[in-house]
Amino acid sequence: MNFPDFNAVLLLSTISLPLLLAAGMARRGWRSCLVRLAPWAALPALIVVFAVPQGAAASFSWLFLGSHLGFDQTGYIFLLFTSTLWLLSGLFAQTYLADDTKRSRFFAFYLLAMAGNFGLILAQDLVTFYAYFSLMSFSSYGLVIHNGENESLRAGRIYLCLVVLGELMLFAAMVTMATNANSLLLHDAIAKPMSDVTLALLLLGFGIKAGALPLHVWLPLAHPAAPVPASAVLSGAMIKAGLLGWIRFLPLGLEAFPQWGALVMGAGLAAAFFSVLVGVTQTNPKTVLAYSSISQMGLITIAVGVVLMMPSLWPLVLPAILIYALHHALAKGALFLGVGVASHAATQAQRLWLFVGMLVPALALIGAPFTSGAIAKTALKADFTSLPTPWAGLLQFALPLAAVGTTLLMARFLWLLWSKPAAHGHSRSVLWIAWALLLVAVALISWILPIANSSGQDALKFDKIWAGLWPFAIGILVAWVALVRSGREGGIDYIRIPAGDWLAVLAWAAPYAARMGRALASDTLTVFWKTTTASLFQALRRLDSGQSWSGREDCLRNWSVAGMALLCISVILYLLTSAS
Amino acid sequence: MNFDQWLLVFILLSSFVTGLVIFFLKEEAHRLRTLANLFGALLKVILVGVMIAGVQANHVYESRLELLPGLDLVLHADAMSVLFATLSSVLWLVTTLYAVGYLEDEPHRSRFFGFFSICVSATTGVALAGNLITFLIFYEILTLSTYPLVVHRGTEKSLQAGRTYLIYTLSGGALLLLATVWLHTLAGPLEFSLGGTLAQVATQHRAELIAIFALLIAGLGVKAALFPLHGWLPQAMVAPAPVSALLHAVAVVKAGAFGIVRVVYDLYGVRTAEDLGVLAPLAGVAAFTIIYGSVRALFQDDLKRRLAFSTVSQVSYIALGTALFGYLSTIGGLTHLVHQGIMKITLFFCAGIFAHTLGVHKVSEMAGLGLRMPWSMTAFTIAALGMIGVPPFAGFISKWYIGLGAVSSGSYWAVAVLAASSALNAAYFLPILHAAWFRKRQDPWPADHAHGAGEGHWMLLAPPLATAALVVAAGVLANAPFSPLEWVRFIAEMEYGK
Repeated sequence: MNFPDFNAVLLLSTISLPLLLAAGMARRGWRSCLVRLAPWAALPALIVVFAVPQGAAASFSWLFLGSHLGFDQTGYIFLLFTSTLWLLSGLFAQTYLADDTKRSRFFAFYLLAMAGNFGLILAQDLVTFYAYFSLMSFSSYGLVIHNGENESLRAGRIYLCLVVLGELMLFAAMVTMATNANSLLLHDAIAKPMSDVTLALLLLGFGIKAGALPLHVWLPLAHPAAPVPASAVLSGAMIKAGLLGWIRFLPLGLEAFPQWGALVMGAGLAAAFFSVLVGVTQTNPKTVLAYSSISQMGLITIAVGVVLMMPSLWPLVLPAILIYALHHALAKGALFLGVGVASHAATQAQRLWLFVGMLVPALALIGAPFTSGAIAKTALKADFTSLPTPWAGLLQFALPLAAVGTTLLMARFLWLLWSKPAAHGHSRSVLWIAWALLLVAVALISWILPIANSSGQDALKFDKIWAGLWPFAIGILVAWVALVRSGREGGIDYIRIPAGDWLAVLAWAAPYAARMGRALASDTLTVFWKTTTASLFQALRRLDSGQSWSGREDCLRNWSVAGMALLCISVILYLLTSAS
Repeated sequence: MNFDQWLLVFILLSSFVTGLVIFFLKEEAHRLRTLANLFGALLKVILVGVMIAGVQANHVYESRLELLPGLDLVLHADAMSVLFATLSSVLWLVTTLYAVGYLEDEPHRSRFFGFFSICVSATTGVALAGNLITFLIFYEILTLSTYPLVVHRGTEKSLQAGRTYLIYTLSGGALLLLATVWLHTLAGPLEFSLGGTLAQVATQHRAELIAIFALLIAGLGVKAALFPLHGWLPQAMVAPAPVSALLHAVAVVKAGAFGIVRVVYDLYGVRTAEDLGVLAPLAGVAAFTIIYGSVRALFQDDLKRRLAFSTVSQVSYIALGTALFGYLSTIGGLTHLVHQGIMKITLFFCAGIFAHTLGVHKVSEMAGLGLRMPWSMTAFTIAALGMIGVPPFAGFISKWYIGLGAVSSGSYWAVAVLAASSALNAAYFLPILHAAWFRKRQDPWPADHAHGAGEGHWMLLAPPLATAALVVAAGVLANAPFSPLEWVRFIAEMEYGK
């Protein structure tokens, strides 16, 4: 008997431990103990990050249609920030939701989504990825609608509609890829040439998850609706699953799609700027953060578009995307947890500390010098120089503008947070500790990671520092002017764009469409069918009830007539059979 | 006495004799009746197990009875018949348990269980039939033995439903008889064999074979609920829940679908059918039924009617998988035969529990059901998610293979049909799940028989939990040996290998 491969066991346990804990929630007596254990279910994943070498793999032929897990460089970075976020947010949630009666339900869904998230990072074949992706998406529904209010229910409904739409698009794409490659393994599937339809389905399907325009409308509704720790993992870790889907499923670095590349870059640019415009008009700080996520993912989308246009850039762009995803995940998580801390910060001193702490992720997101954001943005910008014109010039111009936009969003966010009334109740140290740990991670991780070394050194050069400083300065100036000009209200409160932007148009048209659909499907068809069959039966009955028929039958009952008929038939039959 | 020749007859008799015995039991002898029921069901499962072992070891089980010179009644155990026979006997066991619990204190139980057992004999006969005439005979016995089950309650609605059922199924049976006779005159007594035996005949009598195919599909399509022959199914929902479960998952609807599978693979042969050009119209009808059933289900408030239209839609997946020419879509269609059976039976068991224990018949009354009956609702959730096609449950596996088959045969429209149908399934199942788990109940339950606590009798609860576990196992362990998928792959290899 062979010893089970230690790495394989560890890889599987990242998924199985949260699943087991979630299953245990069924038993009422175990719930409080399981809630205490829940955040630590992310520990195997953290251990994998530090202990398992890159290149480890595990196959389970009996699971699904043959399941393959693997750990490569992409998986390493993704698992690093994902497990950190799930762990710290989980610890945060234990205390944040201490008075919540539905805490066990929250953690059951939390654990399921965690398992799905880890599973899809490690998945190396189509069906396994899809299974864990679905697990994560459907379990997050429970997180979104947690507080049960009407707005959360509406957000959950829209989220679920888009999840189902994304799942179906991915199903169609994957079925095509599996057939063409005759294999379920991801690296076999992307080696085959990909049709435009499949590419579109993948871009849209994963784009829904990643918050790409135009199917981003669930994000500004769902992320604010969920409790703060859930928003942190939703915005930090789970939307990166869409990005990972693009990285794993698209033939990046293998095939060139110039038109699609241009389209994707355009969509990314649109996302980066459109979300800024909508985000600064919001009044809920969490909605502003959600729009900021869309904006940042837009920048990553631009990078993906770059590689679609010029596959040779992939070896340079992939590390940049990974660094950016890492930095954004940790910074966004820290911002969301900070909102949670703010609702527990009572004294003026605490609010001051909160504000100072908030500057760390906010500046990181903007890309101010010496932050992780600076490294990430430097890494990203380095790859755009070899693009064909006009793209190179456009991106040189657009990226700093995007930084200005992010500054405006952060300014709006901080202003909204500051002007919220002081919290009631006492604050709890666990919240502060978890948040502080995350802040440390935001500040330091990018500087430590070997993958970011070259970009890190690059970011310390003077021209890069200046490149990070002037958009920040302009953004602060614009924000200051807006604040001063609008008086106490501060900001653009007279413009109201509802969260979910173009969804509002759809919401207006929906009742009419529903009425039409109902009439078409149920009433018209049924009425048509009933009238047709009714008239048919009526005709048959009329045929039967006529006097003439019974009269004719009486005639036949006469023996002589019957006998004659029988004789004729017999003669005919005899002739027929003898003739053959 | 050659055991190989008599095993199949014993399998049939195990439930037939049980049925006859139960007819003679007095109404009050419920312990004896339950014993007879469970004994018969267990015996059948054991005998089917022996048959599976034998087929694996390459035994040939066949029983013949000469009806007329040149016309035999043949029972034959090949891979496909073993698949269907196993499905029906295992599910009959759980349904029997469920029915005993459900019909406690109801009148005419001996009559019910008698016809129940005869119905399952007929289904097994359909499964084991070795040629078309045997299939037809048992098909008609199935019709006649399910009629008393449909009208069991004796109310005006039940009688009306039974009348509709008979009109539809007897007309279908007539068409089937016509087709059988016509085929017999054309090609003589044909036995089912892998790859079909009509290739020679097809070269000479093309038009006639196409017409016969249409008649066969029309006759089988009544039971298989193809549009527009599905009208009896939603009406038959007035029958008690065990009957609905049996009808939809085990016996009637599956027999129709199985018949279509037999006709395409073992009578005509998939290559001959493709040459004749009959597969494309079948695929079209199946695709239309898939969408039609799902759309109608969306607008039903009565839970069982919603599930009935869902059956109309899902059984056509089997027809679609059969009609798309390809090894992979065959796997998908046949796997769905098994998977849809276990998922649908779970849903109907749960619907029966909700109606029986709490008086909940409508979807709009299901708010807060998850808190009141967590176990039943969990089984319902698993089966519903499987129906939608969420991995890793059973429904996803069969949809995946049908999708693979659609792409490999170039029928991309079928992928779109699958996607649209999954979306519609999500639209009519997810709101139920949301209401049950996330909404609080305001009013008291319509008719709470369990007095505020508990989920009802264990005999009602154990079957759906067992079948829900099978739904999970069939999906998660799809690649493990002895899964339905492995068995179906074996069948498909033999069909296409020829």
